[in-house]
Amino acid sequence: MTTFLTFTILGLVLGSVYAIAASGLVLTYNTSGIFNFAHGAQAMLGTFLYWQLTYGWGLPMWLSLIIVVGLVGPAMGAALHTLIMKGLRDTADVTKIVVTVAILLGMVYLSQWIWHPEDARIMEMFFGASAKIELLGVVIRAHEIICLVVAAAIAVGLRLLFTRSRVGVVMRATVDDPDLLRLAGHNPDRVAMLSWAMGSTLAVLAGVLITPIGGGALEANQLTLLVIDAFAAAMFGRLRSIPRTFAGAIVLGMTATYVMAYFPTDWTWTGNFRVSLPMIILFVVLIVLPQDRLRVAAVRTRERYRVPSVRSAATWGGVFVAVVFLLSLLMEDSSITTFTLGMTFAIIALSLTVLTGYAGELNLAPLSFGAVATIVAFHFGVAGTGLAAHLSLWGVLLAVLVTAVVGGVVALPALRLRGLYLALATMAFGVFLSNMVLRDTTEHTLFGVTFSLFPNGTLIVPPLKVGPLDLRDPLTFLLTAAVLFALIAVGLVALRNSGYGRRLAAMKDSPAAAAMLGQNLVRLKFGVFMLSAAIAGLGGVLMAGASGSVAGDNFTIMASLGLVMLTVVGGIGYVSGALFGGLMAGVGFVIIIGTFNDLAMADPAMGTVYTSIGQLAMVATALIGMGVGKNPSGTVHDLVGSYRALRNAKPVLVGGAAAEAVLYVLALTGVIGNWWFAILTACLGMMLPVLGRMLMPAAVLGAEEAARRRSTPLELAGVEEPYTEELRRRLDRELGLPAGAAPATPRRTGFPLAAEEGDVHAVA
Amino acid sequence: MPLLETRGVTVRFGGNTAVDDVSIGVEEGAVTGLIGPNGAGKTTLFNTITGLQRPASGTVLLDGADITRLAPARRAHLGMARTFQRLELFLSLSVRDNIRVAGDILRANTRRRIDVDEETDRVMERTGLTDIAHLEMSDVPTGRARVVEVARALMTSPRVLLLDEPASGQTEQETEAFARLLSGLADEGLAVCLVEHDLPLVMRLCSTVHVLDYGAVIASGTPKEIQESPEVIAAYIGTEEVTA
Repeated sequence: MTTFLTFTILGLVLGSVYAIAASGLVLTYNTSGIFNFAHGAQAMLGTFLYWQLTYGWGLPMWLSLIIVVGLVGPAMGAALHTLIMKGLRDTADVTKIVVTVAILLGMVYLSQWIWHPEDARIMEMFFGASAKIELLGVVIRAHEIICLVVAAAIAVGLRLLFTRSRVGVVMRATVDDPDLLRLAGHNPDRVAMLSWAMGSTLAVLAGVLITPIGGGALEANQLTLLVIDAFAAAMFGRLRSIPRTFAGAIVLGMTATYVMAYFPTDWTWTGNFRVSLPMIILFVVLIVLPQDRLRVAAVRTRERYRVPSVRSAATWGGVFVAVVFLLSLLMEDSSITTFTLGMTFAIIALSLTVLTGYAGELNLAPLSFGAVATIVAFHFGVAGTGLAAHLSLWGVLLAVLVTAVVGGVVALPALRLRGLYLALATMAFGVFLSNMVLRDTTEHTLFGVTFSLFPNGTLIVPPLKVGPLDLRDPLTFLLTAAVLFALIAVGLVALRNSGYGRRLAAMKDSPAAAAMLGQNLVRLKFGVFMLSAAIAGLGGVLMAGASGSVAGDNFTIMASLGLVMLTVVGGIGYVSGALFGGLMAGVGFVIIIGTFNDLAMADPAMGTVYTSIGQLAMVATALIGMGVGKNPSGTVHDLVGSYRALRNAKPVLVGGAAAEAVLYVLALTGVIGNWWFAILTACLGMMLPVLGRMLMPAAVLGAEEAARRRSTPLELAGVEEPYTEELRRRLDRELGLPAGAAPATPRRTGFPLAAEEGDVHAVA
Repeated sequence: MPLLETRGVTVRFGGNTAVDDVSIGVEEGAVTGLIGPNGAGKTTLFNTITGLQRPASGTVLLDGADITRLAPARRAHLGMARTFQRLELFLSLSVRDNIRVAGDILRANTRRRIDVDEETDRVMERTGLTDIAHLEMSDVPTGRARVVEVARALMTSPRVLLLDEPASGQTEQETEAFARLLSGLADEGLAVCLVEHDLPLVMRLCSTVHVLDYGAVIASGTPKEIQESPEVIAAYIGTEEVTA
């Protein structure tokens, strides 16, 4: 009985902290319409800061609390709103989600930069673990009482805020119709900012409270994933109702502690199961939730993608393979393997192009599906032993097939609901996979079969061999991966241009209209998700083959999120966006960090500077991800647009190609190093559209546009360009005035507009 | 018997009754009008008929069969099509593809086998959209965009067509062409239900008109009867004496 009571209290405490975190999430979601994936990351950052102040710099606890919860929390929320969230109006849900994912990653990178992840940091309970009371034989610590009291106070406070106060009512109205609210004399931006400040404060508070309960060790990733516990709880209230969110949080907390108390401890899965509980509960709730009503979307999103024709895609596919071959001539074997790895990531990223770019659905854990395929291929697809070991074609096909089925099973519960739920489900699946399957490293017997899904924590995956094609040779592997990427990419473009692709686009643009034309949305989403999972699976197996051996760390949710973010930055609607995202996520980071580490090693005096620049590069990519809100169509879109403008400026294009050819020959003959080649190529690629505009403005901009740009609009005469005699005559001509006498002193720039007007009248 | 019928349909949003015990019918081969002041519940009634909104009580019948609980897509397969008051076009598709995709959907979701390209050309010809076939949807002005929605609905060869303010945003010439299209469709046997604020258009096209006010039907009849109904005049103009 005492055990039961003890664990009930523990469950209540855990639940109350989940409730604090979850209520913040629900608050921001409902006032801004943005589901904040960075909620846990905010908690993490705040908690690390609290640790730094209290334990690092020895400030008194109360002062640190005031600084972190009272100042930094609200400031962080208000800043996020002002700098980023405000700009996300009229963007697709995908963009909103990716921006908060980018914030999450940025905060994680930042914390790893400031607080080295390998140092141990411990946080103690408030008033210490020894401050406790005993009630009916149950020991309750002061810290736990604080958690319960704070949660109760927040519950009451939020209730009063939403039902009794004017601000609360306005907050509820903000998400429904901000324009109407503005007409009624309120300022929706200020209200949204207030709610972000509150949400952020609640996140920080939850982080500071939960860390000592879980043993006190500060761990950035774990705290960041607090967002999953929070949204599992919020799911009980359909992400809307705060009272139900509290109830859900308590259920979550209690179940977790009861599992810890009563499940057999010798069962190896118990520990993993407890960690995975929020994910499991989330799936159960997803299945139970009633179907979403189809909403008539009033928002017109800003994302635009051009769809290339199959013919041009095929041409570019050929060009791509040729370029990869030419580049491979410049590289040594180890670089070729790295390049191959990036290419396999690009194939995984293609799974996002079809799912997100074409169908508007989101998968936040593409690498987890790659992991599923890798596990299947490892167990069933390896033929031969020792040096002759290789993956068979059948093994790869089986792996891809199983991954497609797993994808369908994961997605099915969420498909009846809005896209956000699918994103949440996939993220939960990713974490679940990392916690349960990839940690299943020791052998155990189930139904008479002794096995382990992820033996010893490392899978050795040999390369694929089909007939004469043996991928053991790095160059063969690279070219095969490039050809596969090109084939799948062209296939996807063809798909987009088919009736199926048009149906996907219709579903993405207006689910209500597609349904009203007779489209079964669940079936369409189900199919495209399976297709996407299959592509991710194929990429995953190839990735494992290219690496040789993979561990659980290769498939973490953070890696998946990075891939998703970079693909969206590249351009989620384009296969070339997938190439960019895959290469960047797969090897870009590794190369950047590696390069700066090498520099640091070579020059120890500058060591810290170089390492910092490397870290800064990581944070910078996250910053680019946050910028997706400004440019939701992606960089590829802009680049393609700028080169499209060059199509009439043939000499510029030919000149650019010639310059590139010269660079290539110089690199091939060893005159310039590969780094210089890469940097000069990047410069050339970016400068060419600019050069084109400077050298051949008429061809690039069109004759009219060029002429218009050359002359200042009359309204800005005297402001943008000096007020000269010639300009004065032009003004007279435009206004139909007789050529008057010139003023006594020709004016220069910089006098007020009113004076100018006076001048004109005087002339008139 | 009308092809489409609502019996005692009531829709509530919280404590608000948006549609109150509405029973109307839409006959084949005719245009049935649905008019009423803003907020009278016309669009909500459309949403209920098409399955985007569940009624609190009442039934929706299509050809005598109860379809109240069917999903929107199933209703489309049974021959129901609609347009939207706030346009719901597929902005990443061209004008032609917006119409063509309706055929793609039909082929993929039903047993009907049509030649999608041929049918698309036919519908575009009929609705007079051929000249803008390759425009991006975002470059099409509202008036013609409404015709694209109608064309898209026609691709499904519907038996009943529900139009939610199709003439708003159209120029006079566009409305004229649109009126000719509608009466032509009705003559071919299509059951058309028209929500519209352009009263002359409604009076000219419709054989029966239902007037909604505060969610309830306050009058039904021929356009002439409606124009003379004191309830309708009161709802539109108000009953109070104008003093000033």
